[in-house]
Amino acid sequence: MIQLFHVYKNYDGGVPALTDITLKIAKGEFVFITGSSGAGKSTLLKIIFGLEAPTGGQAIVDGRNYARIPAYEIPRLRRKIGFIFQDFKLLTNRTVFENVALSLRITGVRPAEVRKRVARALSYVRLQHRANFNPLSLSGGEQQRVAVARALVKEPTILLADEPTGNLDPELAVEMMELFREVNSKGTTVVVATHDQGMIKRLGGRTIALESGRLVG
Amino acid sequence: MSRGFGLIYAFSDAARSLRGNLATTVLSAFTVAFTLAIFGLFLTLFVNLNAAAGSWGDRTRIAVYIKDGALKKGVDLLEAGIREIPGVRDVRYVSKKEALEILKKELGGNAGVLDGVEPGILPASFEISLDPGFINPSDIRSIVNRLGMFGWVDDVQYGSEWVEKFSAFLRFVEVSALFVGVFLVAATVFIISNTIRLTVYARREEIEIMRYLGAPDLFIKIPFFMEGVAEGVLGGVLALGILFAGRHMLGAYIPPYFGFLLDNPFSPGLLLLIFVASGLVLGGAGSLISMGRFLKV
Repeated sequence: MIQLFHVYKNYDGGVPALTDITLKIAKGEFVFITGSSGAGKSTLLKIIFGLEAPTGGQAIVDGRNYARIPAYEIPRLRRKIGFIFQDFKLLTNRTVFENVALSLRITGVRPAEVRKRVARALSYVRLQHRANFNPLSLSGGEQQRVAVARALVKEPTILLADEPTGNLDPELAVEMMELFREVNSKGTTVVVATHDQGMIKRLGGRTIALESGRLVG
Repeated sequence: MSRGFGLIYAFSDAARSLRGNLATTVLSAFTVAFTLAIFGLFLTLFVNLNAAAGSWGDRTRIAVYIKDGALKKGVDLLEAGIREIPGVRDVRYVSKKEALEILKKELGGNAGVLDGVEPGILPASFEISLDPGFINPSDIRSIVNRLGMFGWVDDVQYGSEWVEKFSAFLRFVEVSALFVGVFLVAATVFIISNTIRLTVYARREEIEIMRYLGAPDLFIKIPFFMEGVAEGVLGGVLALGILFAGRHMLGAYIPPYFGFLLDNPFSPGLLLLIFVASGLVLGGAGSLISMGRFLKV
């Protein structure tokens, strides 16, 4: 499902964010990417999502090589990938419902279907009572759950999450991870970047460790 | 999934976005309106000045005085000869009697000084008007030279100084209008495109998030395009009101003999059409161009 071959990423300042990363994540896998702050976890997720282009090497996702697909096909690929951003990236001029619905509307899903699926996604993250609220009126944890609902509502083939439990209290964090497990059990490939070692130990599973942009395990 | 629903969502998104950004839309529309109104005012002044210059040119006359004692046949031949000169638009015969009548009319209250004067004291003449393209010093000089060569012609007179000044004035008007016009068009396009760019820039995060969710370009562009068009069209309508109000206010300060400068050379309907079409094109194109850079995410 995800294959990286000798991927390098250098930002303009010349600092190498990733160095010679080669890895393979199979369809339906649940993988943690670990490492301290600045290890390159977010950059790796962004390359898988097609937000950053590798300075060297190849990134192949869902059978498509980013280096070879035309720019207009990238949105189509992104519609199959759910991305939970560290800073949520919610639209603050829309309600929670509209934020979650946007993922479906851009692909032209019928209104009745949109309503049904958004309600289900919001109930997954226990936010159905906040549907008509503005994201700015929610707590950090609630906003993060809106971002999760938005990523899940489109039933992605790949779910990428960048520190998805960073703003949640321990009880909700465990609940969130269990939700990811449930999504994964239905066939979605899940990749979670986190530095929460306790969470990794508790849940177990494959771990990809990064240190200063290099694979260390 | 259906592409049709995607478009319906894009249009309903545009309507929602217009309501949500009403203040920005109205402010941008006013910027568009003032810029278009200034351009409209310039256009009004230019068209009126040009028309006035043309009518002043029409008043350029050449007088050909006929020698006393000329026979009717000779005068007829002279008239036919004059009509054949290129650039001559019209020839009017002014008899001795008519010349005296005209002079009396021009003297007005002082016409009494002509009491007792013989009716034949003034010479008969031809009054010649010219085609607009020939109203310049060199063409007039060559026409006058040809007129002087006819028999029975006593004298040829024209306002040489007036023609020189008038030609120079026309050249000045044309050159300065071209200069100001180009400058104003550039300023209008620059101000309107930057106003729209600022409104798009203020919402770059929204565009970015839509890109992250995999929104097709069209889905992102339609709301912004419609907003740009709405700003432009609203600006066009407001521009007409601002122009009329501006002309009314200026009219109070302009001396009556320059009042013609503020006459309306176009019908209000045509002016509205020009403004709305300009606003529509500038608003629509401006928003599409401004969005281009934010879509490369």
